[in-house]
Amino acid sequence: MSKRVVSAPHDLTTSSGFILPALVAARLALALLQPFDLTHDHHLSSPLTSYANLQEGIYLFKQDIDPYSGGIVRHSPLYLTLFTTILPNSRFSAALLWTLCDALGAYAMMNIYRARQGIKTSSRDGLVAAMYLLNPYLFLPSLALSTSSIENALVLLSIMFASQRKPSQTLLVYAFLLHVSLSSFLFLAPLLLLLISEPFSHLASPRAFSGDFKKLPPLLGEFAVCFISLTMASTLISGGFSWIGQTWGASLTLPDLTPNVGVWWYFFTEMFDHFRPFFLMVFSVHLLIYIAPICIKFQYDMLYAIFLLAGILGTFKAFPTLSDPGLFLSMISLFPETYPYLRYPIVTSLLHLHAALLLPLFHHLWLSQGTGNANFFYASTLVFACANGAAVIDCVWAGLRIAIGEEKEGIVIAQE
Amino acid sequence: MFLSFTATLTKAWSFFLILWLTSCLYVSGEYHEHETEVKDFFQRNGSSTHTNNWAVLVCSSRYWFNYRHMSNALGMYRTVKRLGIPDSNIILMLADDSACNSRNKFPASVYANAGRNLDLYGSNIEVDYRGYEVTVENFLRVLTGRLPESVPRSKRLLSDSNSNIFVYMTGHGGNEFLKFQDSEEVSAHDIADAFEQMWQGGRYNEIFFMIDTCQANTMYSKFYSPNILATGSSLEGENSYSYENDHDLGVSVIDSYTHYVLEFMENVNKTSRLTMGDLFTSYNVPKIASHPGIRSDLFPRPLGGGEALHDYGRGSGWRHPGEWVGREQEKSKKGSEALITDFFGGVVGVDIEEDTSDAHHTEASSDSVPKERTKAEKKGVKASPYLAQRTTKTRSWINLKELRAWSSFLIVGLLVGLVWARQS
Amino acid sequence: MDNNWRIRLRRRFRPEGDPNLVRVRRRKAIVSAFSRRVTFLRLILLLVGYIWMVALPYPQLGRGIYIDENALQPGQVNTYWGWGDVHNSDRYLDDLERLRDSNATSEQRAQYLDTEFRKIGLFSSTQTYQFTSQDINGTNTYAILSSPRAPGVEAMIISASWLSRIDDGNGALNLRGVATVLALAKFLKQYSLWAKDLVFVVSDGYLDGMQAWLSAYHGTIQSNLEAERLEMSSGVVWTALNIDYPGHSFSHLGVFYEGLNGRLPNQDLMNSFHVICSRMGVPVVLYDHLDPRSYPDRRKELDWLPEWLPGALRNDPEVRAYAYNARNVWRHVVHQASGRGSGVHGLFHQFRIDAFTMFALPATGPHGFHALGRVVESTLRTSNNLLERLHASFFFYIMTAPNRFMKIGNFLPSAVLISVAMMFTGLKEWSDSGWTQETLRNAEKSTETQAPGWTRRPRPVLRALCIMISSHLLGVATYLLMNSGWDGQNSIGGMLVLTMACIFAFGVSAVCSKSDRGGAAPIASVLKALNLCFASTIISATTVLNFSLAASLAVFLGIPLSVSSTSKNLPLRASKFSLYLFLSLGWVLKHERLNWNWEIMGVWLLPFLWIVYFPLVLQAGIVCLL
Repeated sequence: MSKRVVSAPHDLTTSSGFILPALVAARLALALLQPFDLTHDHHLSSPLTSYANLQEGIYLFKQDIDPYSGGIVRHSPLYLTLFTTILPNSRFSAALLWTLCDALGAYAMMNIYRARQGIKTSSRDGLVAAMYLLNPYLFLPSLALSTSSIENALVLLSIMFASQRKPSQTLLVYAFLLHVSLSSFLFLAPLLLLLISEPFSHLASPRAFSGDFKKLPPLLGEFAVCFISLTMASTLISGGFSWIGQTWGASLTLPDLTPNVGVWWYFFTEMFDHFRPFFLMVFSVHLLIYIAPICIKFQYDMLYAIFLLAGILGTFKAFPTLSDPGLFLSMISLFPETYPYLRYPIVTSLLHLHAALLLPLFHHLWLSQGTGNANFFYASTLVFACANGAAVIDCVWAGLRIAIGEEKEGIVIAQE
Repeated sequence: MFLSFTATLTKAWSFFLILWLTSCLYVSGEYHEHETEVKDFFQRNGSSTHTNNWAVLVCSSRYWFNYRHMSNALGMYRTVKRLGIPDSNIILMLADDSACNSRNKFPASVYANAGRNLDLYGSNIEVDYRGYEVTVENFLRVLTGRLPESVPRSKRLLSDSNSNIFVYMTGHGGNEFLKFQDSEEVSAHDIADAFEQMWQGGRYNEIFFMIDTCQANTMYSKFYSPNILATGSSLEGENSYSYENDHDLGVSVIDSYTHYVLEFMENVNKTSRLTMGDLFTSYNVPKIASHPGIRSDLFPRPLGGGEALHDYGRGSGWRHPGEWVGREQEKSKKGSEALITDFFGGVVGVDIEEDTSDAHHTEASSDSVPKERTKAEKKGVKASPYLAQRTTKTRSWINLKELRAWSSFLIVGLLVGLVWARQS
Repeated sequence: MDNNWRIRLRRRFRPEGDPNLVRVRRRKAIVSAFSRRVTFLRLILLLVGYIWMVALPYPQLGRGIYIDENALQPGQVNTYWGWGDVHNSDRYLDDLERLRDSNATSEQRAQYLDTEFRKIGLFSSTQTYQFTSQDINGTNTYAILSSPRAPGVEAMIISASWLSRIDDGNGALNLRGVATVLALAKFLKQYSLWAKDLVFVVSDGYLDGMQAWLSAYHGTIQSNLEAERLEMSSGVVWTALNIDYPGHSFSHLGVFYEGLNGRLPNQDLMNSFHVICSRMGVPVVLYDHLDPRSYPDRRKELDWLPEWLPGALRNDPEVRAYAYNARNVWRHVVHQASGRGSGVHGLFHQFRIDAFTMFALPATGPHGFHALGRVVESTLRTSNNLLERLHASFFFYIMTAPNRFMKIGNFLPSAVLISVAMMFTGLKEWSDSGWTQETLRNAEKSTETQAPGWTRRPRPVLRALCIMISSHLLGVATYLLMNSGWDGQNSIGGMLVLTMACIFAFGVSAVCSKSDRGGAAPIASVLKALNLCFASTIISATTVLNFSLAASLAVFLGIPLSVSSTSKNLPLRASKFSLYLFLSLGWVLKHERLNWNWEIMGVWLLPFLWIVYFPLVLQAGIVCLL
């Protein structure tokens, strides 16, 4: 899949008129058929996004038991708000809802692409949408009804609104996103900056930040209002503040070491307890230190900064699923101008191919066949992390390299 | 004026202070007189100054294939009991119950020899800590006496400053650690610190520490408290081995070092005059297959054993020179020789002094007991309404749940509606 | 002196001048050095890989076996299996022989076994089964001896199939094996020390019966199987011993251990068995391979070394050791790569049960029921001691001799090196395809002083990917076609597939040659690059799952995929293509057997060949056609 991503398929330029509906219909059919039960797969849903845990929370809530008094439910109370009031809660409706989220995500991707190009419709719309809908890393978690699909849709919607310069919508959607996934905090700064600047590609012509910082305080205020209102709503439904530790706290303190495709879990299973707080801090802070440098370096193109941060989040998140790196890989299709400047797309693709084969294989060796152990699976998640890291680094390179233009004979770029 | 006031105050204070100090001196002097009297009584046959004996016997490993560790501890249990320490003064910790293991061909019995002559698990066994109760924490708490109030007296080491304690440990170990339960380990420092706490708290007169594990001699290398005599089964970097297998049980039944120690102990009876030195000189390296060590530098009394002990670790059969920390001090030591019966049996239950029983009381933190109890009571008071609260809360949930869900949704809806309206 | 050395070193790594310039130069030097030598490098890698594979049986690469799990304590018990029990076995054998001679049906046999188990005092039951896709049916019998003090939690299985493995389940009966199981049941019941339930299973047929019984036990009955549900069940099965005793008496016990789909049992189990047998004085061999060095008089029949070898070489101890090990390794590779396993024990491996078959090598003596019973008794005592799952590190090995094995690090690199060589070849092809030398055009402009310049050209990746994906889809289609009721008509099916493959290949080449755009890289080279990279990934991923399969793939794909190339000459192209076609479909001759394995036992080699292997080779064939 990633091969197609990095290789500039210029020749596939079909009109988007029917592609999006056709793909969504196909996805819906598969989701309804449910050929395999994937809801418990470790790659596709983490304790924070698992459908089973969400169901548990809804059930507990309906049985008048505080869902956050145990250690299982780690979903935001906002999900409870929605699923116990207006949203129906059955497997059938879930299939519909999750497909809808993916369709929304694809639609948002299309609109982001249009906004970036500054046009109403483009010939690559269909391709961009297909990149989202056909990406197996996004498709499989959605089949497994992992709430990470909803998170991805929210990420893309907030970016879409930001690129369309609709501050209220952006901030509301982002507040929602931050509620359901705390690690999306990485996007706060670039999203606000994107709102006060513009989404067009300035990669080839870097310049100083163009926005007006005076617009920031009211935006921040509005965001705070949204966020606090949602916090109130959450507190109201859960009847206390215990949800904070169970939901947001989980991605900081890592209470559940269920294996996943990320790099945290194994590290913390092996660790002595007295080092735990220190390394939890190191891992959490490590995520944050990328925000400033990337926002400063790409101050002329905030959309690209968001894209890179999505890649970093997909690699180093506390409870990732396949859909987190999947979002980053699909977003590559928004930046066709960088393709010629990627340095080693084939290596990245091959790494991803290896990871895609090794992850399920080693998982099987460990948990089904019993001939391997946890180290096997961890090794494959390391390959996966390398693949994601290579993709991010190459995209950073390409984003910077594009400013210098075509390489002339006898001239070499030494450093950006 | 203020100054003069403070001056008087200081004077008054100093006066009281002096008064208090002198009274203290007087009291301690009186106590000292008492002690010498007692000492004279107990030393009338030229032996140790202790008035009671205790034993702490620990088998720290689980699993069927570690059968031998359980029989080590049980063998030692049988010996100390035979030599006169009653069950009330023995703390026996067994991390597994091999007698009742479903693999045991001879259910409800544990043997320490291949012929199965003697059932160590007979009818009169009192295991104080068993299975998962055998943890590093419990072991250290037993030594230092800091156990929860709910722990019965039979599971406490109720020793005092006149107690001689025999501590025996066996299990799988390594350099300066002993594994407990396959999940945790106690380090040489931990035990050394626990002994120091015991010394500070007046919980022993003398300790005899014996350990049978791999690299056992490292376990006593960190001790620093006085009056401790220690011995171990093997050098640093050396394994301890099992003695023999029983081919019906299918496992090794006892460790070599313990086997020979127990064999020696069979010659000891309650009136025996054999010394610790005699025990140490009985160590036979080719038979034991490892090099036992001694540490006596913290121990003030001579070990006995005569000329043979002076050559400890140098005889034929010793592939490495035997380790004896405190060999130099031995010649200059004065006083009565350390008898085996000083630690194994001997005096028990001479607990006649009222003082000591009082000391016991304080030891068991008589002050803290009421406090803790009130605390616990408070907890209890809290706990029961908590449950009630919870049920009432639950009832209120029924009414409010839907309401809360919808009002929460209302907030979200309002927010979305507001944003929507603002935009259009 | 020292200082001088340090300065030189620093100069080596941090020379004077503009650091950027230095870095660029260094990078260029490294890249060019690498790209100049890449052909050489990959040749070396291929060569080392293949030589390593050939060297696997070399005795020095292995090491002696040892026991890793402390709890096992093998061979430390007295055994009480005595001559009375041997007598019991003989009596059971008499009954069984009577049943055989009276041509008893499966039901009658099962009835007899059921009655005998009940007489012993065990809970016993039978199970009938039928495979609907093939004409296979039968009746299994099983009995459960509950652990006296821990019933129903864990279990061990002692099994014997009705048919022996000696002629691959084609008729030779395993009567003595069955009799041993019966006598063991009677004997083992006396003991109260079992920490796990003992389950005695006499399965009908060769592989089919046990497959039916195991699937019913684990509640995973496949769609083409109609099997009775089991009346009784026990706990989680950890280990299983399968007894195969076809002759009158035996000289050695042979160990067969490869499971379904290349899974191997934990080595500790077999090592314990080896330790126990050597304590009992029963010699152990791998499979039915007697060591020719121990039987000088039977050398002709046992030795793998051909007669025409010079005597000095033929009698060299190293060479003889190598030949003996090579025979074992080869047998292992065949069993493992086929995924079929090497006997009834293989079926247990689907359910994470460590199992092996002890095969009593038919001979005129000296051992019989007495030795076998004692060995089994002691082995059961050992596995009874097990407290937890066996160590994960002991599942990857190759047994080169009964008491020697190779660790994973000593054999895995051989296949991985070949896969890396393929990856390098692919990457070189890829980077070559992205550049073109502009000498021709410049030459026309008669600027001879200008050096030939390199320019980038686009690669038709998407089209190459389309070809790859559609060829794998073709694999899926052919797989479905061949498995949809072509029973007995494999030749027709094979012809059809052959035609489909040809049509596909020629169609693709026709389409590609038409739409070839100027300036772009030739699609053949891009396809070849991607094909090689993909094949290399498949090989390296398979190594851990099934090393023998990965090694076979490395042999079958390594060189052929690397040398595929197009040519101007049409007949040459066609003949190259037909060679690849043969390589990709040659295995269809064995289709019937593979299909049986897939349908009855779920051996995934067949779909793997159709969906992965066949398309990969076909792609190389298409490269030649383009």
